[in-house]
Amino acid sequence: MVLEEEIPKFADWIGPALVSYLFATGILAVVIAAVAWLVQSVLCGPLAAGDRVYRGVLSGIADLASMSPRRIWALARLAIQESLRRNVVVVLGLFALIVVFAGWFLDPTSVNPGRLYLGFILSATNMLVCLVVLILSVFSLPADIKAKAIQTVTTKPVRTGEIVLGRMLGFATVGTVLLALMGLVGWAFVVRSVRHGHTIEAADIVEIKAEDGAITGSEGRTSLDRGHRHRVEFAADGSGRTDTVQGHRHSITTSGESGSLRYEVGPPEGLLEARKPLRGRLRFLDREGRPSTKGISVGAEWSYRQYIEGGSLAAAIWTFSDISEGQFPEGLPLEMIVRVFRTYKGDIEKGIAGSVRVRNPTTGLQSDPFYFTAKEFTIDSLLLPRTLAATTADGGTRQVDLFRDIVSDGRVEVVLQCLEPAQYFGVAQADFYLRQGDGSFAANYAKSCLGIWFSMLLMTALGVMFSTFLAGPVALLATLSVVLVGQFREFIQRLFESQVSGDSSIVPGGGPIESLYRIVTQASITVDLDPSPAVSAMKTLDTFLLAPMRLGAGVFPSLSSLGTGDFLAGGFDIPADLLLAHGAETFGYLLAFFIVGAFCLRAREVAA
Amino acid sequence: MQAASMAGNQAGPRDSAGEVIVEARNLSKIYRDFWGRSKKVALKPLDLEIRRGEIFGLLGPNGSGKTTTMKLLLGLIFPSSGEALVFGREATDVSKNDRIGYLPEETYLYKFLDAEETLDFYGRLFDMPPEERKRRADALIAMVGLGRDKKRQLKEYSKGMTRRIGIAQALINDPELVLLDEPTSGLDPIGTREMKDLIIDLKSRGKTVIMSSHLLADVEDVCDRIAVLHQGELKELGRVEDLLRVTDVTQIRTTGLPEAAHAEIRELIRRHGGENVEIGNPTTTLEDLFLEVVRDTEARPGRRARAGEGPRGG
Repeated sequence: MVLEEEIPKFADWIGPALVSYLFATGILAVVIAAVAWLVQSVLCGPLAAGDRVYRGVLSGIADLASMSPRRIWALARLAIQESLRRNVVVVLGLFALIVVFAGWFLDPTSVNPGRLYLGFILSATNMLVCLVVLILSVFSLPADIKAKAIQTVTTKPVRTGEIVLGRMLGFATVGTVLLALMGLVGWAFVVRSVRHGHTIEAADIVEIKAEDGAITGSEGRTSLDRGHRHRVEFAADGSGRTDTVQGHRHSITTSGESGSLRYEVGPPEGLLEARKPLRGRLRFLDREGRPSTKGISVGAEWSYRQYIEGGSLAAAIWTFSDISEGQFPEGLPLEMIVRVFRTYKGDIEKGIAGSVRVRNPTTGLQSDPFYFTAKEFTIDSLLLPRTLAATTADGGTRQVDLFRDIVSDGRVEVVLQCLEPAQYFGVAQADFYLRQGDGSFAANYAKSCLGIWFSMLLMTALGVMFSTFLAGPVALLATLSVVLVGQFREFIQRLFESQVSGDSSIVPGGGPIESLYRIVTQASITVDLDPSPAVSAMKTLDTFLLAPMRLGAGVFPSLSSLGTGDFLAGGFDIPADLLLAHGAETFGYLLAFFIVGAFCLRAREVAA
Repeated sequence: MQAASMAGNQAGPRDSAGEVIVEARNLSKIYRDFWGRSKKVALKPLDLEIRRGEIFGLLGPNGSGKTTTMKLLLGLIFPSSGEALVFGREATDVSKNDRIGYLPEETYLYKFLDAEETLDFYGRLFDMPPEERKRRADALIAMVGLGRDKKRQLKEYSKGMTRRIGIAQALINDPELVLLDEPTSGLDPIGTREMKDLIIDLKSRGKTVIMSSHLLADVEDVCDRIAVLHQGELKELGRVEDLLRVTDVTQIRTTGLPEAAHAEIRELIRRHGGENVEIGNPTTTLEDLFLEVVRDTEARPGRRARAGEGPRGG
């Protein structure tokens, strides 16, 4: 799976994040107060406007402080009843329908069906839940205001904060229940979809004989089920297992007497897992063996993976820390995702050979290489055992102990090299890790649903906030715009940087006006426009247009960044630090949206 | 005829002993468009005081500013100038709502709730504990006569029934001040009478009632004081009997007077300088006639009502 940024410890993250949050919300509060003052100044003069804004803020804070849980829950219940009246449960039927017919368009012969099913279910759940709460939340309050039912509520001792929070809570409850039900159905769907077995006929198994004629084991193949079959190998003691196909393998038990052996293929292993990786830090050596911060770019636009050249001294070196014998008593269970870039086709059926060595970061003592063949799109496993062979200075070989001789102060280096000249291995820091153990897949699935839950909460809060001062359809558009800007916030930030600095290599093609011009004139985005007053004016206008988008991109939440489906589908345990950070980020946004919503509704004449 | 009037913006009832509950000081409302331009002057500067225990009527034709005044007092809209004080607090102060009940012009309730749920919901908004909510809801449902329909969703209610549940929600907190916007709107004559009886009952229990109406008879029947608004401006303000009293006409009503005495009385009045003497039987109101017919029909089902025989005085 792709992990572009290292996941920081929550304890290290929360301090700076809180400071940034307070700074951003402080600025936002000042801007809102200034806008309110300007509007009031037009109506009643600057002094009276100042007094109104000041009193409004004070009484607003007092209102927030005097909210009643009972009233909030009453309004939340009303929102729930309203949702039920709008037949929100229909969406469950729609989801069930999607699940029932998913089998028609999901390919069970894909490279990793587990990932496919999980990705599909999580996407469908996320989309439906977020869409439902969005529609409920943006139309509810405007409908109440239009139908004037709000007048019988606001003439009760109800604070605007209670109205906003009650609605957020009510719709969030509806969304939570929907998410829980969809999550359960989705879980059953995924587990049922990936579960399968194979049979092995005795006729398909042949014995493997050594040169001296001794039987060393047997091999063969399984039946073709779900669009795939496995190669199987049995040791001399009869224990067997399959190879890894479509991201899983099976263990096989043998029973019966020789001549009438029966094979029982176990359930798929490796499809629904929650690996707990211990990741290291990556550095590179160039083809001359000199340290380098980067590998080689092979021209891919996405520079996540760096490449090392085969048949040279180029290497990718991971340094793992906090390694202990108690943690890995059997040795280091290394798992690797290695991408291959071929400069010539070669034997396409055959993988590219590579080697892995472990090295003492202090003394430089390293083990002899472990050879492997890189397979695309699969995770290669390699157990680096306790006892390793190492070549001595005089060319001899000696046995070394992993923890006594190689691991130094809990640190160890793993060195990857590509062995075939003119071929390349592509790796990222997250691609090599030591498998510390496995978490519960069910718990991991629940954690992933938690990511959807965070998105759903934000969507609800955004919808309710906008509905406090906008009509339903406009609030819907505003919410979608915020989500969209948040979705592309990194791009917008880079685009703005490109626009301001004039460096078109950051994001080629320019801002919205320039892009439109290029589309109309069919000018390539890689070619700079000839300087002219019109082009200057266009670029200046683009900068002005991008400024609010840049501001929004810095403030608005990115719902996609809250998703943890990649971890789940990739078979990795979702780190608690990440969930805590997402939770804190969500709570921060919810608080801000709630306060803005409460003040906006308070400033509004609901009966005008 | 010449009616006694108290024209202008003179505030305050004759008996000024009561505590001032509602006060409007130079209160005005101008609706503006998006650009802040004046769109409509809904209420011109208004000064008003309403005291505890009064039934105060806001009277005027449609669009005269009655509902605007009420909304300003409730804090539903904000004044363009001046201030509205309720229980000594600004009308926009939410805490005043603890002591207020409000029945809007149309009963804007949540139609997917039934009567019990409606009252339970509004009870929760007053932070009432469950037992009290239940007790109040049961009593109010019985009071407005919706016992048999309390489990039906409000969308199935007739306009009169909706009005009844509306008044019930306005009274859920046993308010000190009740604001009723067109309380008899949509009610049949029986409902109208019951509403008026209820308003009078509220007064007898020490409540202050502000009601707006364009139905003159309703206002006349129940209000102690009225303000007449027209085109957003206060035209008349005072006690109902003061405003309606015809000072240069004397009325004597009696029962059991034989026909023969009429000439003698007429002669006596003429001797004292009285002019334009009218002696005859007074007529009742159509409302009283209708109520008598209904009562009589309910008392003697299947028989023609005796009301047609003509009302009797006394």
